[in-house]
Amino acid sequence: MAFVPKYILILFLIIIVDYIAGLTIEQIQDKKLKLFYLILSLVSNIALLAFFKYFNFINSNLESLFHVFGKEFKPYNLNVILPIGLSFHTFQSMSYTIEVYRGRQKAERHLGYFANYVLFFPQMVAGPIEKYETLGNELKKNVTPLYDNFANGFRLILFGLFVKMVVADNVAPIVNAVYNNPAEYHSAEVLAAVLLFSFQIYADFYGYSTIALGAARLLGVNLIDNFKTPYLATSITDFWKRWHISLTSWFRNYVYFSLGGNKVNAFKWILNILIIFFLSGLWHGASWTFVVWGLLHGIVYLFEKGFSKLFNFKVKEGFSFLNLLLGIKTFLLVSFIWIFFRAESFAKAKQIISSMFNNWNIQAGNLYFGYSVLFVALMMLSDVLFYKVRANEWLAAKTPALRWAVYSLLLFFLICLSGIESLPFIYFQF
Amino acid sequence: MKKKILYKSLLFLLIIVCINVIYSYTFFSSDLKKNSPCAYQCQLLPAGIDVVYFGESSNTAFAKDDSTRKSISGLVQFFNPEIKIATIDTFAVHAGIYKHWTFQFKENKPKALVVTMNLRSFDAAWINSTLETPLLKSIRLVQTPVYGFNRLALALKMPDEKTEKEREQDMLQTWIDDELSFPYPFRYKNVRQWDDAMANGEAKPIGTEFTNEQIILGCHYIKGFAFNIRESNPRIKDFDEIVEWGNENKVKIYFNLLAENIKEAEYLVGKELVYLMRQNRDYLVNRYTKMGAVVIDNMELLEPENFIDRNWTTEHYNDKGRIAIAKNIVKQLSIKK
Repeated sequence: MAFVPKYILILFLIIIVDYIAGLTIEQIQDKKLKLFYLILSLVSNIALLAFFKYFNFINSNLESLFHVFGKEFKPYNLNVILPIGLSFHTFQSMSYTIEVYRGRQKAERHLGYFANYVLFFPQMVAGPIEKYETLGNELKKNVTPLYDNFANGFRLILFGLFVKMVVADNVAPIVNAVYNNPAEYHSAEVLAAVLLFSFQIYADFYGYSTIALGAARLLGVNLIDNFKTPYLATSITDFWKRWHISLTSWFRNYVYFSLGGNKVNAFKWILNILIIFFLSGLWHGASWTFVVWGLLHGIVYLFEKGFSKLFNFKVKEGFSFLNLLLGIKTFLLVSFIWIFFRAESFAKAKQIISSMFNNWNIQAGNLYFGYSVLFVALMMLSDVLFYKVRANEWLAAKTPALRWAVYSLLLFFLICLSGIESLPFIYFQF
Repeated sequence: MKKKILYKSLLFLLIIVCINVIYSYTFFSSDLKKNSPCAYQCQLLPAGIDVVYFGESSNTAFAKDDSTRKSISGLVQFFNPEIKIATIDTFAVHAGIYKHWTFQFKENKPKALVVTMNLRSFDAAWINSTLETPLLKSIRLVQTPVYGFNRLALALKMPDEKTEKEREQDMLQTWIDDELSFPYPFRYKNVRQWDDAMANGEAKPIGTEFTNEQIILGCHYIKGFAFNIRESNPRIKDFDEIVEWGNENKVKIYFNLLAENIKEAEYLVGKELVYLMRQNRDYLVNRYTKMGAVVIDNMELLEPENFIDRNWTTEHYNDKGRIAIAKNIVKQLSIKK
């Protein structure tokens, strides 16, 4: 992934196609024709995504398939760089045309407003994926510079920077070292790296999302929360209500419901769930490891649903010993499944899993954890504190002395202890 | 409202200043040791050192059958035991990095500083090398006196580092844009044309037949040495700053202009390339002698057999080569005890 200036034309193409599609779909009365224009718009968006993201993946799979049948297929490898954030802005733009088709959204007549919705820079490269109903209206608001917006915006940015630069970037070298060469580390270290990756990817993406929220807030625009303390989830169902919320909503609203949701027979419903998780995995990357990551979530999701139904088991809200155990169980499961997300191949994933169990000679440790564990603990403490409120709102309610003490501490961590390896945001690649 | 913003901005600045001071006295030293070990060595150097030698891979013994494993600086110490020499070196460094090492000397500054001057470090390939990113990162912590800012800049990857592709494009463009200057008409306008001709077998000296390996090596010689050093070359600014620092701090500056395999260059590419190398050497000797530095000219000191690498233009010498250079340095060093 990269920022290539000429790729801005892709965005212009998306804007023009979906702007015209929206207007056309709204004006036409004939349902079949409406559907035709919707499909035309969706195919254009998906074709762009498929070309840049999945072309080589499809080709290499075709090659393997031909090989199975003893035929020869010489794939043409496309040497293009994936435009940064393509999966995010195509999904955002598609949500607009679907909403217009469903009659829930009026087509935008002003090209400028629509272009601003697709191009809104704070969330353009890695979300949150906003509906036109929310972001479009936010962008139309008459915004005057308000002290409150600046204060809240900067608080969010400061907190987001802390989470990304101090937590994620300090954890990343440890995780990278183990994933690059798991054989060099004993099982406890590999296990630690697997758990730490859960925190790394959370801090990395949550940090970005919080910075995006802050940057938008500086401009007087409110974006939706993309995370809600996901590692305090008590089940996989709960986890997906808290992790990458905007993507989960997108798949639920536009794919799951279109497939019939839960108003179908059990077999079809199971299939629907697996399709959603399959697509979610594929959305993340053109690799079977991502697909397996998604499907494993789907399988656990189905298992949990089945268990709840069979034993009539319901989790009660609030803190309890049972919820603590369920939270730990969910975190361990999610962490294990992350292995397929982080490992670049199945062979590497297998190596990581076997290294987690095979070498318990823990006398000679190679891994240096530094302050990373402390930072992860701080982030998780903030998750508990911000369980019901955003960081900026929590801070705004405190006394000036406490607020500035927190600012000073965060700045101290940022300046003195942030990670220094060159590590771009993980989700920029999607 | 304006007052509120002003007070808060001032408070914010005060916090930043305090954090900077705290950082300078706490984490800076360990960060420097980890990320900029050579700059750290310069800061830690004990007072009373006579000569500090800044070097790169040329200051290493590579050949297994060498009679001595001593480096050039080690041999200088061996031939001149009465002076105290400290060596600070690492691979692929150049004057843009040496100058930041130099600035780290405070009360511990030596009487003389010998800085390796590699002619190839002025060429587009080295200037735009992919190694530049880690090298720049290695001096980021000492780039300004505000260490906290440097630490944040390092974490934020500031200033924006060029990608490998951008560096490659810059290098290729320089090979096209920089016209070669000769006092007589020459067939090739720039490195690109000359290199292409060499690769196609058109540029080889008359009456010679080369193997593929020799043609490739010839191309390396063209890319490594076919340029005219101009005032705008970034290395000139870097070496200038080292000399200026030396003059200000009364530290004698010696530039150890490394030996090149001139005979091989002439055999493979021709006398025009040697002309450029000599012209560049003369430019450097004149410029820095005028500025008060001593340029120890080793460029034509060695024979082809003193160079270890047979398929590259690297300045890696065998024992005899290193000894010859070390003796030349000793001859020109004038340190008063």
